[in-house]
Amino acid sequence: MPSPDPVVAVRGVSRRFGHRWVVKDISFEVPPGEALLLVGGNGAGKTTLLRVIAGLLNPTAGAVERHAMAGMVAHHTMLYDALTARENLWFFARLHGVAERGRVDALLERLGLGSVAGERIAIFSRGMLQRLAIARALLHDPELLLLDEPLSGLDETAAQIVLDVVAELRARGGALVIATHQLAELVAVAARVGYIVSGRLAALEPVDGRDAASVMNRYRELAAGAR
Amino acid sequence: MPGSALVRVSVAVAAKDLAVELRTKTAFVSSIVFAVLVLAVLYFARDATAVADLDLAPGALWVTFTFAGMLGLNRAFLLERENRALDGLRLTPASPTAIFLGKALGNLVFLGVVELISLPVFILFYDVPIWRQLPILMGVIAMATIAFVAVGTLLSAMVVRTRFSEVMLPLLLLPFLVPPVVSAVQLTWRILALRPLSELTGWLSLLAAFDVIFFTLSLLLFEAILVE
Repeated sequence: MPSPDPVVAVRGVSRRFGHRWVVKDISFEVPPGEALLLVGGNGAGKTTLLRVIAGLLNPTAGAVERHAMAGMVAHHTMLYDALTARENLWFFARLHGVAERGRVDALLERLGLGSVAGERIAIFSRGMLQRLAIARALLHDPELLLLDEPLSGLDETAAQIVLDVVAELRARGGALVIATHQLAELVAVAARVGYIVSGRLAALEPVDGRDAASVMNRYRELAAGAR
Repeated sequence: MPGSALVRVSVAVAAKDLAVELRTKTAFVSSIVFAVLVLAVLYFARDATAVADLDLAPGALWVTFTFAGMLGLNRAFLLERENRALDGLRLTPASPTAIFLGKALGNLVFLGVVELISLPVFILFYDVPIWRQLPILMGVIAMATIAFVAVGTLLSAMVVRTRFSEVMLPLLLLPFLVPPVVSAVQLTWRILALRPLSELTGWLSLLAAFDVIFFTLSLLLFEAILVE
């Protein structure tokens, strides 16, 4: 049986800032229903790669073929402090062409923010902002979700909500690319792990029931081999 | 992007900018205070026996509008830098044209309100025959503001990623503003001096040309500026 068309295909992508190559010749595909985990140390190039895939940065070389509109959660919330949670989502909903206000309220409830929907987000905690950023990324029902440290700042309950959202997206055929250091929670939802070492994709392997510790050991092995 | 979506996105962006400004009022209050201060200082600094109100008023009005407006323009993209909200805009299917038009519309409303509030202060200080000439003066103000906003919106998007954007914007913007501001000053003087309409047409055509050129170029260049 032929494999389904990938939701996203990264083909020989490199990105340079000034003289420094941050991402070097990375290629992979993510088919529908798959979550790909990107593992790497600080400054390995994971965030830059996600920004290139999202279309926020142009690659210096190579290309990204996206067959779906992406949603993205990054280190920054991409939201406006002076607006309320509902106003923020409604603004982005209109830009996505989502006309139903009910969609905004449903997402706020889904992410556990229904009771603070009318509050300005300037007073939100880091965890609340992260959940709102996830709601923003889900507004248009994306088939491709790019998550950069999605569990950062979340308590156990909120983290579980996010993991449920990830599972739902996979179940309906969505693809995910997740960059994280919090392997314990996310390795279970991923089908493959991409190990990024100094901007290169050192290995792309199936998870095959590995736990976080064994994924981390594999990363250390690859990082040591690259030195 | 179809026309209806273009309008929907532009209006949403402008409404969001104005809502943020209404909540924070930072740029609005600074622009108004600055405008009143400049009008007052220029009025009281002059030697009334050497400089007539009529000769000082046009320059005072446009110096005030230009620099008060700059405070507002700085704000337009600074709020997109906060939390990298501009990335959020770029992750939507909104076209750069719609984002530019929304930003420009927001700036236009912001500057329009600042000008509407500053104008009575100007009338109060400067004893110039303005009432009969008000409609045409308003027309000139609108035309010059469009040129100002077009190039100002583009440049504020350009400098927002630089470290000293508040300093960079005036440095880059002022040279572009010289032609429309000179036209506006010349027109304002002729209007306040009750000169015949035929004396206005040349400067009006020049101002209209700047509007068209600045707006078209800004619209075309905006997409390139959005991409990192």
